[in-house]
Amino acid sequence: MNQLIRHYQQTAMRYIDSRHGSDGDWLTGRRQAAVRHFAELGFPHSRTEAWRYTGIEGLMRQGFELTDRFDAFPRHAVMRRFLREPTAARLVFVDGLYQADLSDTGLVGVRVGSLREAMAVGDRQVLEAVGSLSGLGDHGFEALNLAALQDGAVIRVSAGVTVQQPIELLHLAGKGATGRAMCPRHLVMLEADASANLVERYLAMDGETAYFNNLVCEITLAERASLVHQRIQQESAQAYHLCDIHLGLQGEADYQGVNAAVGGAWSRTRVHCRFAEPGANCELDGLYLAGEGQLTDFHLDLDHAVPYCDSRENFKGILHGGGKAVFDGLIQVREQAQGSNAHLSNANLMLSRRAEVDAKPQLLIHADDVQCSHGASIGQLDDQAIFYLRSRGFDEGQARRLLCQGFANEIVERFQSASLREQLSEVIGQRLEE
Amino acid sequence: MLSIKHLSASVDGKAILKGVDLEVRAGEVHAVMGPNGSGKSTLAHILAGRDGYTVTDGEVHYMGRDLLEMEIEERARQGLFLAMQYPMELPGVNNMIFMREAMNTRRKSQGKEAMDAVSFMKLVREKAKLVKLDERLLKRSVNAGFSGGEKKRNEILQMALLEPLLAILDETDSGLDIDALRSVADGVNRLRSPQRAMIVVTHYQRLLDYLEPDHVHVLAEGRIVRSGGMELARELEAKGYGWLLDEVAA
Repeated sequence: MNQLIRHYQQTAMRYIDSRHGSDGDWLTGRRQAAVRHFAELGFPHSRTEAWRYTGIEGLMRQGFELTDRFDAFPRHAVMRRFLREPTAARLVFVDGLYQADLSDTGLVGVRVGSLREAMAVGDRQVLEAVGSLSGLGDHGFEALNLAALQDGAVIRVSAGVTVQQPIELLHLAGKGATGRAMCPRHLVMLEADASANLVERYLAMDGETAYFNNLVCEITLAERASLVHQRIQQESAQAYHLCDIHLGLQGEADYQGVNAAVGGAWSRTRVHCRFAEPGANCELDGLYLAGEGQLTDFHLDLDHAVPYCDSRENFKGILHGGGKAVFDGLIQVREQAQGSNAHLSNANLMLSRRAEVDAKPQLLIHADDVQCSHGASIGQLDDQAIFYLRSRGFDEGQARRLLCQGFANEIVERFQSASLREQLSEVIGQRLEE
Repeated sequence: MLSIKHLSASVDGKAILKGVDLEVRAGEVHAVMGPNGSGKSTLAHILAGRDGYTVTDGEVHYMGRDLLEMEIEERARQGLFLAMQYPMELPGVNNMIFMREAMNTRRKSQGKEAMDAVSFMKLVREKAKLVKLDERLLKRSVNAGFSGGEKKRNEILQMALLEPLLAILDETDSGLDIDALRSVADGVNRLRSPQRAMIVVTHYQRLLDYLEPDHVHVLAEGRIVRSGGMELARELEAKGYGWLLDEVAA
C-alpha cells in the first residue's frame, strides 16, 4: 500500500509540475498541501468505520493515471444525450474535461463556466472557494482530488436571481477515459434569495471502459437561497465512481437533492451537509440499483450544528444477482441544535439470495428538544402481490418488474424532470430483465 | 365452460376439499355458500391458481382445457377472473397503468390491438362511474390506502375492463356497507351476459338478493352437500347452516 501511496504522490507531483504556470501560486500551494495531506491520510481501509463494507482493492489494482487526455465525440452523439427539456445553461465535460463548443453558458445574473478557465486566468474569487467546505479532504481520495484538480463547473447565481429552467452538467466518458483517474470539482454558489435547478449526470459513451471518476462537489447556499439538485450516476459497467458532496447551508436555505446510482462497477457517494445557520432545510432522496459485480455505497452525514434546521432523507435500493450495497446514514444533532427535525429512512429490496446490503442508520443526538427518527428495512417481493398481478394476466417477469418499478417510484417521482424520470424507469426495467 | 369433477385438495397435509363436483355453463350465475372453513375460498383460489394448495384428486376443465395445468396468467388471459376477498395493495404501481397493461395483455391474447392511452382513459372513466369508484383513485397506487369498499369496487372495475368469460367473486360482499354492496352488485349485474358465467362465493344471502343466481350450492366440510335455487339461499338465511349439516350427517 505504501508503494501505491508513493506512486499516486509522485503522479500528483508530476501533474502539478505539468500545470506549472497555469494555476497561479495560490492554487499551486493548495495542491502541494493536498499532496502532503494525502501522504498523511493514505488510502481508506476497511479498519476505518466509514469504509468497512466498501473495499477499494479493485480500484487499487487498476492503478489509474492522472493525465489531461480526452477523446472528442461526434457532436450529434453528445447532443443525443442532452436533457430533453429546455435548459437555462449547459456544461458538457468529456472524459472529465470541459468542452466549451458543446456547452451553452450565456445567462444573465448567473456566472457559469469551467474551473479550468478560472484556473487559467487565476480568478482568485473562484479559486479561493476551492476547499472552502471540503478542506484538504476527509480521506485520501478527496485530498488527491484537490492535488490533481483538473476541471469542473463553476456556477454562481447572483442575489435574488431565480433560474427556472435546469442548469445541466453533463459528464460523458468514452474510450479516452480508459485507465484514467479524473478529478473534477464543482463549485456551486447561490447568493441570498437566489434559486436554481441543477441537473448533474454521469454517462458512459462506451459501456465497458474502465476509469475512475474521483469527484468533489462544494455547494454553498446563502440566506434563503434554494437549490433543486437532480443527480444520476450511470457510469460504464467497469467504472469506479467516487463523489463527495459538501453542502453549506446558511439561514433558511433550502436544498432538495435527489440521487440515483445505477451504473458503475463500484460507486460511492457521500453527502455531507453542514447547517451553518438556523432555519435551513435539507432533503435528500436516493435510489440505488446494484446487480452482478456491482457495489453501490451511499454515505449521508447530516450535521445539525445550529438550532431549528430540518433534514429528511429517504433512500431506496434494489439489489439483484450478486449486487452489493452499503447505506450509512448519520444524523448528528449537536448540543446547541435545539428544535431540530431530522428523519431518515432506508428501504432495500432484495431480489436474489446472493445480494447483500449493509444498512446502518445512525442518530447521535446531544440536544433534548428535537424530533428525530430513523429506520431501515430489508425485504423481498411479496408472493401474494406477484400472484395478484399474474391473476390479471401479467407473466411473472412483468409482475416483478412492475413491483420493482413501484418500489422505486417514490424516489423516481422526486425527479422534477420528466425525461430523467423516463430514463430511470427504463433503466430499472432493462436491468431487471438481465 | 367449467367442469369440476371430484376435486379434492389439501393445505399442509390437511384435506380441505373432499370431492367437489360442479358444472357451470355460459350465461349461468352460481352461488357457492357455506359456513366458515368449509373450503369456499380454497375452491376459488385453486381455480385461479394460487400456490399453497395440493390437488390430491379429481379434475377441472375450463373451455375444454385442463385448468390445473395452466399457468396463473394463462388462465387470466383465457378469460378467468378472480375478484379477491382481500385485494393486494401495490404501492407505487399506478392504478390506471396497471389496468391498461392488464387489459392490453388480455386484448393481445384475444388477437386484438392494444388500446391507446386516450381511448383507455375514456373507457376507464366510464366504467369507474358504473361501479361508483372515485375517479381520483385511478391516479393512485393500486389499492394503496383504499377503504375496504373502494378495494372491492376497484376489483369489479378490473372485471368490467377485462370482460372475463368466467368471473369468480370471492366474498366480494364481506366488509361492505349496504350502499357499497348495492353498487358492487349493480356493477356485477351489468356484466351478466349469455356468454359469461359467474361463481359467487359468499357467506351471506345479502349479495344474492341483488344478483339472483340461477343455482345455489352449499359447500360444507369440503363437499357440495346441497344444490338448489334462490329458495335454498333464503332457507339458509332464515335457519342458518346448522340444520343442513345435521341433515347431511344423519
